[in-house]
Amino acid sequence: MISTIGLILSWICLLNLLILFFSNNKFRINLMVRFNLLINFLLFCLLEIGLFINDFSLNYIANYSATTTPPVYKFASLWGSLDGSILLWNLILACYFLVYLRYYKKSGENIDIKIFTSIIIFFTSYTIFSSSPFSGCIELSSIGCESSSLLPFQDLVSSSQGRGPNPLLQNHPLMAIHPPILYLGYIGLVLPFVITTSYLFQKDTDSRWVQLAADSTFYPWLFLTAGIALGAAWSYEVLGWGGYWAWDPVENVSFIPWLLATAFLHSSKAQLNESTLLNWNYVLGGLMFLSTIFGTFITRSGVLISVHAFSNGNIGVFLLSGLAIFTLFFVYTGSKNIEYFSTSKKLGNLFGKSGFFIANNILLFVSALIIFIGTVYPIFYENFYNRQLTIGRSFFDILIGPLLLILLLMMIFSIRLSKKNINFNEWFQQNLLSLNISLIISIIITYTYRFEYLGILTVFGAMSLLIAGVKNLIPKIKQKRIKGSYWAGQLAHIGIAVFSLGLILNVTQSYSSEFIVNENSIVEFGGKTYTIDKAYEVSREEKDIINLPISSNRNIKNASLNIFKNSSQQAISSPAIFRTVEYDTYITIKFIDSNNFKLIFRKNYGILIMWIGLALSTTSFIPKVKQNEK
Amino acid sequence: MKNRYIFVSLILTLVLLPFLYENDESRFETWSKNLLCPVCQGETIFDSPSEYADDMRFVLKEQINNNLSDQEIYDYWVSRFGERIITNPQNKNIEIIIIPLLISVIFIIFFVRKVKK
Repeated sequence: MISTIGLILSWICLLNLLILFFSNNKFRINLMVRFNLLINFLLFCLLEIGLFINDFSLNYIANYSATTTPPVYKFASLWGSLDGSILLWNLILACYFLVYLRYYKKSGENIDIKIFTSIIIFFTSYTIFSSSPFSGCIELSSIGCESSSLLPFQDLVSSSQGRGPNPLLQNHPLMAIHPPILYLGYIGLVLPFVITTSYLFQKDTDSRWVQLAADSTFYPWLFLTAGIALGAAWSYEVLGWGGYWAWDPVENVSFIPWLLATAFLHSSKAQLNESTLLNWNYVLGGLMFLSTIFGTFITRSGVLISVHAFSNGNIGVFLLSGLAIFTLFFVYTGSKNIEYFSTSKKLGNLFGKSGFFIANNILLFVSALIIFIGTVYPIFYENFYNRQLTIGRSFFDILIGPLLLILLLMMIFSIRLSKKNINFNEWFQQNLLSLNISLIISIIITYTYRFEYLGILTVFGAMSLLIAGVKNLIPKIKQKRIKGSYWAGQLAHIGIAVFSLGLILNVTQSYSSEFIVNENSIVEFGGKTYTIDKAYEVSREEKDIINLPISSNRNIKNASLNIFKNSSQQAISSPAIFRTVEYDTYITIKFIDSNNFKLIFRKNYGILIMWIGLALSTTSFIPKVKQNEK
Repeated sequence: MKNRYIFVSLILTLVLLPFLYENDESRFETWSKNLLCPVCQGETIFDSPSEYADDMRFVLKEQINNNLSDQEIYDYWVSRFGERIITNPQNKNIEIIIIPLLISVIFIIFFVRKVKK
């Protein structure tokens, strides 16, 4: 039943979009965009209903949910695998379509609507012709569903139990938040793509397009920042290895759009101020969205192995052809405007605002490029030389680290920049006090933690940015004249300063050791004592949990092992985390041997500081909203 | 003016500070960050808590205690697991450093040309 309704609704959705593509009547367009959103919302609800009533006649539900799955994870199962996540993708696209219509709609012809509609048609047709979460199950396997049909009104078979989601995806509630937030970021980058291409397709070349594109990038950028941060938090809390970022291919491809969006937020200002970088802004404006599609391709096509990858049949070919079509269109539109691009003015001042923005763009773009090469090169290498190559943490640390460090040091000047060349002497005079204070603090920190030069530079950069930034902001709080976007930028920078401080502490200071313990053992680690209590077992429908209470200073936390009933995989270890501002003590169970537990104690520095920094950066929207800037 | 002297002396202090203590990243630490744990997803044996990584760390520790040269250690691991075990291929595959560098230079030239002479 749900299968049939879902499939028919998908067809109606496609039909509506096709009519929308050929419509020119404003009222009709308004109506159909809303109708599209309504159908996508209904589809979303329908699959959720299916998940909650355990309708295992649906292929997707039989394979990725189970009766024993707790409600939160049932809800999140909708995006727990490929087909369902495309459904969420389409819903968010539909939301953004409405946002576009309300805030960014170009007056006059409807070429923008046609571009936007084609993009949505592309993704909707995937769910209709290739693989849909509503496809009904026609052949059962021993557990879950073996094969399915995309046609409505089939005789469906249903099992009494489903396979359930991947254990990693049902072990922490962040799973219900991290993917949708990240999607809101990714998919929002369609707005600048549509804006840049539609304006320039019609050779509509006043500077409005770049203003609108920049405005529409800000919120997706914010969601992307929050989404990536939540992902890091999730892996820290769930994967049990004490890390938050592994330069895993999928993390890399999520970082590329973020870097490009950050670059665009800056370079667009250079165009608005000095009519320079026209072609560059066009390239970035489109590349953000294209890199998102590319990222999805890398993640979903199965060309790479990763924690996040779930591949499925022909989505790779599908996404690749989409990427090719959108890119061709983008290049064609660009080539129509070569004359316009050549009107781009040359930059007058290398050390003015725009000069800094250009340096920022070089650093961010080159970082994105290095990450791109580091992610893709192993695939080529394997095909050409028939040998495997791993490009991992040390490659990225060596290449990306210094670039981002230079960026941090440049941010110190951002507190007061104008179009004119910055007068370094005067700037230095004005900020000498802040610089001296931050130097003293840096010396203390450096000596306490025994930093090397990379660490010293980071601490000094972060401290001066923080102190000079805050000192500069405080007297301005009462002034009403200052633009919201200036405040947003400053807040984001200060957040990054705090974040870098936490990061460098974490990278240089953290250490771990292993202990074999049993009941009533006392462990001395990192200058504190931890008492191990008696372990106990909790049995739930979907999993068995072995809890090991550990207490320190009257705080009791559980380190636990989760053994999922639907999976033969290794048990998942959830950490006990004792948190202070300076460091986390992160305890995981490695294995249990009769009465003995082997525990890993990690001292992870700077974690809380990093989270605070990232949270601060994401609050940068508040001043913008307050002053009603879009 | 006084503040400037303070500034210069503070900078000097900061620069000289690392000479007060020794750098203690051991050869073991460097090497364990360069070896991939083959059964984990993208983690080095430095990060990974798995048993397999434990065993590898044990072998590596032996090798370093026996003062094997870097080349010998490299050969040992690559002969058993193939090149994909090494996570810093930039030392052997210099092109992955050169390609980004070249492209960056092109970019810098592109932007420098946008500045008025």
